[in-house]
Amino acid sequence: MNEYKEIQSGSKPFKRAYVALMLWFVGRAIEAAARVDAAVKAEFDGLSPGFTFSLGVMPQGPTMIVGKDDQGLVRYRGWDPEGQKIDLKMKVKNLEGAILMFTFQESTAMASARNRLIVDGEVPAACAIVRVLDIVEVYLLPKLIAKLAVKRYPDWSFGEKIRNRIRIYGGAIFGL
Amino acid sequence: MELPGYYEYYCGVKIIAGHDALERIPGILQDLHARRPMIVTDKGVAGAGLVDIVLGAVKDQLTIGAVADDVPPDSDLRVVNRLAALYREQDCDALIAVGGGSVMDTAKGINIVVSERADDLMKFSGAGALKRPLKPLVAVPTTAGTGSEVTLVAVVKDHERHLKMAFVSYFLLPNASILDSRMTLSLPAAITAATGMDALTHAVEAYYGLSKNPLSDATALAAIRLISGNLVKVTRNPSDREARLAMANAAALAGMAFSNSMVGMVHTLGHATGSVCGVPHGVCMAILLPYGLEYNRHKREAVMGELLFPMGGSDVFAGTTKEQRTDRVIAYVRQMNQDLHDASGGRHARFFKEVLDREGKPAVPRERLLDIARTALGDGSIFYNPEDLDYDDFLMVLEAAWEGVALDPGCIRT
Ligand SMILES: [Fe+2]
Repeated sequence: MNEYKEIQSGSKPFKRAYVALMLWFVGRAIEAAARVDAAVKAEFDGLSPGFTFSLGVMPQGPTMIVGKDDQGLVRYRGWDPEGQKIDLKMKVKNLEGAILMFTFQESTAMASARNRLIVDGEVPAACAIVRVLDIVEVYLLPKLIAKLAVKRYPDWSFGEKIRNRIRIYGGAIFGL
Repeated sequence: MELPGYYEYYCGVKIIAGHDALERIPGILQDLHARRPMIVTDKGVAGAGLVDIVLGAVKDQLTIGAVADDVPPDSDLRVVNRLAALYREQDCDALIAVGGGSVMDTAKGINIVVSERADDLMKFSGAGALKRPLKPLVAVPTTAGTGSEVTLVAVVKDHERHLKMAFVSYFLLPNASILDSRMTLSLPAAITAATGMDALTHAVEAYYGLSKNPLSDATALAAIRLISGNLVKVTRNPSDREARLAMANAAALAGMAFSNSMVGMVHTLGHATGSVCGVPHGVCMAILLPYGLEYNRHKREAVMGELLFPMGGSDVFAGTTKEQRTDRVIAYVRQMNQDLHDASGGRHARFFKEVLDREGKPAVPRERLLDIARTALGDGSIFYNPEDLDYDDFLMVLEAAWEGVALDPGCIRT
């Protein structure tokens, strides 16, 4: 008699762990960038009080959550959406799409152009968050790679970029 | 030809096109097991005698449950709920939408309410909220431009809560769209010109945008070819039936292209100008399209050059060197606006400072450009634009489009 194998969904532990690590890192980097970079701060100031968004992978994560606290400060809020009011959900449709994004083989713009992202929430807020992600990527990545990840590499002064980059890395890794 | 590493394409709308396409409606509804449709339309369409033409084409084979001809130009949730109640009262089982964008959106909204028995439409907004097919919907467009007869989006305003709800679902696609030359025959020259330029913009932005793919390319190129051959012609001679049918086809083809490849900065700025100054969408598209080409040129030179073939024809294309093709394409679009301006007795606007509102006053005062640029920052169509734009970039483009001068290439940051 034939045996019909059942295949369970949800494996690929290494890819999942990599994406989870990157999301954790980007989440904390956004928190740091909102303190350091005027443009990121301005984008968050323009969003409603308590605004919170998540960026994650479908169907079961990983996910990261970032939001404004009572004082309007931007905070990384962990990975668990349970009990949090989330205004904007950005979801990559599958793990492979997330791997392409977070190994920077595909820009955020290209990912949305290729229909890999689902955006659930107000469009103006989504536009603001994509601009924030672009700026954070420029800080986190070497120029050669960041140039592939964003549409237009900004012409910031070198000294300021390096100073902010150090502070953002410090914030993301050590919580400084 | 460049092939994307990954793409998605869908267009599940049956198209019936011809000088006597309306006569097919009873057969289509029968196939869908519907026997008592409601017609949704507006006063302008009804007043132009178009509903009578539709009724004349279908009524010996079909009972019409109700004719709702009072969809306002600025339709909203109240209208949707009122007409959904009428649909139920009259025991209807399908919808025929006869009109432009506002009528189509309203009919799609009614369809969600009656199919899902929704008391709060809001529950079904956003992507993925609709889970199953709705009631049969037949779209009969009365302009050739928006392409909403083949798009999966509906926008319904809620004036009381100051909200604009967007519904996105494959289930919102009409089951069939009827492209019949009789429906656009009485369209005034200026509206013909502006809506035709909206269709051209859909095709051009889809063709050079980030989401281009071989299927959207094919429909975009076919649309551009039809528009190039027929838009100026039909604006000069509005009763040209062949040209009318060609434009109806072009608008549907361009709609298929952009609903799968999306649009870019021309629409970003057009939506913003529409919402800040109330300028009709097609007018904004006509004015802004040359700037979309100029601004993105450094990223899309080769792809833009290919557009000279459907615009100018094979001889012009072959006789122009590769380096000159994009210049010719941009010049061609500007010339088209000039020709439409002349053909409409000066009513087709070429730049923002010559756009007038209903009272004949300038519709886009120069100082409002700042508000328009700020509004543009919140429009999602910018994701699909090849080059990025920030506030200063939007403002620079708007200023050039207001004055009617070409972009200074030195001001485009790369
Ligand atoms: Fe449009």
